[in-house]
Amino acid sequence: MARELKFESPSFAKRMKGMLGVDLYRLFHTPMFYIFLGIAAIIPAMVSAMTMMPDQNGNTMEPLYSNVWQIMAASEPLYVIRGIADYANMNMVFIFGGIMVSIFIGHDYKSGYVKQLFTTHAKKQDYMLSKTLVCAFAMACMCVTYLIGGIAGGLFAGYAWDVNFGSLLMAILGKMIMSLGWASLYTFLNIIFRKYFGISIASSFFFGTGILIIGAAAIVENLSLPTAFLNLFLYGSSVNACLVSNFGTLLTCIAVSVCWTLFYNLLGARILWKSDVY
Amino acid sequence: MNAIEIKNLSKNFGPKQAVCGLDMTVPMGAIYGFIGENGSGKSTTQKMICGLIPISGGSVRLYGKDHTDEGVRARVGGLIEAPGCFPGLTVWDNMMLQAANLSIPNAEEEVIKVLKMVRMEGAAGNKFKNCSLGMKQRVGIAMALLGEPSLLVLDEPLNGLDADGMRIMREVFTDIVKDGTRSILVSSHLLGELQKVATHYGIIRHGKMIAQMTAQELDASCRTYIALKAEEMKKAKNLLGCSYSRVETDEAGFLRVYDQTTAEAVVTYLYENGVIVTEIMTDKIGLEEYYTDLMKGGK
Repeated sequence: MARELKFESPSFAKRMKGMLGVDLYRLFHTPMFYIFLGIAAIIPAMVSAMTMMPDQNGNTMEPLYSNVWQIMAASEPLYVIRGIADYANMNMVFIFGGIMVSIFIGHDYKSGYVKQLFTTHAKKQDYMLSKTLVCAFAMACMCVTYLIGGIAGGLFAGYAWDVNFGSLLMAILGKMIMSLGWASLYTFLNIIFRKYFGISIASSFFFGTGILIIGAAAIVENLSLPTAFLNLFLYGSSVNACLVSNFGTLLTCIAVSVCWTLFYNLLGARILWKSDVY
Repeated sequence: MNAIEIKNLSKNFGPKQAVCGLDMTVPMGAIYGFIGENGSGKSTTQKMICGLIPISGGSVRLYGKDHTDEGVRARVGGLIEAPGCFPGLTVWDNMMLQAANLSIPNAEEEVIKVLKMVRMEGAAGNKFKNCSLGMKQRVGIAMALLGEPSLLVLDEPLNGLDADGMRIMREVFTDIVKDGTRSILVSSHLLGELQKVATHYGIIRHGKMIAQMTAQELDASCRTYIALKAEEMKKAKNLLGCSYSRVETDEAGFLRVYDQTTAEAVVTYLYENGVIVTEIMTDKIGLEEYYTDLMKGGK
């Protein structure tokens, strides 16, 4: 007997539930995720416990930091970097995260999973959103392991622990929220370079360093704009989350992160819609 | 209502036109054999049907709706080029992930059912990367079968399958379309295998459909011929060549006479000219020969 054909459009919630479930399962079964969690913890621990630098006379060695707090965040914005060690702060997590996103999305394309997915899913933005959310979660987890590693290393090295707990909480939450914006950027970059895995990783690393903020900072300075203008960018807001750790900054982080996520997700979905799946 | 209705479809890759003005109709309940040379546009057409590449022109309608319609897309299963499985995960895990993607309610039962259909239930615990090519193809087909899709689009699904695997696939295909609402579009270079299951055919060349027919129409248009062996093959060929318009020697060494005649007439003619016929039979050309003839420009 012939069956009746039904073509019901699956709801957004149903589609996302399925895709997020798959992506989370894959995340927890990807060794690279745990490796990057480990790296995110080890780097601050190593930096805080082992980094020494010459004093101004160049004679004796003294610790790079004096306070655990400095491991979490730069004492000044990173676009006025004076030494390579200034990079050793929580923004490193976003670079690790970028590489992880590249590997994660690279596997999707290499395995043919994307073809399987898009055969049954008409909505390309679902893919962008699902990847962004899961990768943001992964980066937020890295922020936590960074915090744990940094605190452990700092205490081991005997640094001072005079930190305002509220500020620390706001700073960490700010960084975790900024993970969403960064994840959307990386997902977008990996959609653009989906055919070239190497370029995907290189671009994630390049943009993850926040190098473009240098240009933005120069423009702000030349135009005599307020430096708060830099907080409109992912990197600026990520730095600001630790420089001025309060509830207002946290709200700024939420607004900036969500806006950039929407922008990159819509742009990425448009590109997916208009281009071939390989 | 047709399962697939394609009109004037075209696809350009830069200056290269991969598909140009293609028309195709796949009725409901059909197993549509999609045939063509390498680079003729088969995979590109299938990818467009699956929504994997945007179309440059024309239209693709599935069950009367645009092929980008969400509801229709959710009812399409596909195996394009390779199964979309993660090599580090087991067959079972890969299947369960696809079931989750499709939001299948009784995922475990459904996965077991499709794995049984392709006789892969015993290998569910194997890591996908450790499966043989034939096993991977079967997993790919099982994955495409998840969620009971109304339309299956399969690109070279028979590649790498052994004789038993091909028999199983024939059974699976026949079983799927038996209720008359589900359809399969399958491309393959294994024309002999395709002929055993296909109910409809489409032949594509240089991105254009050059022939579309039902299995019955193919059968009717496939000419009959008389194949024979004689004691003096060379003399027999010369004699037959004088009296009949098309006489050829096949791979098995038989002389084939394609003209409208009878075996009795051929035997009598050769006997009267001093040639004894040792073997003779009447047969029809198959899909493979029909296709080869068509590609050569013959009938």
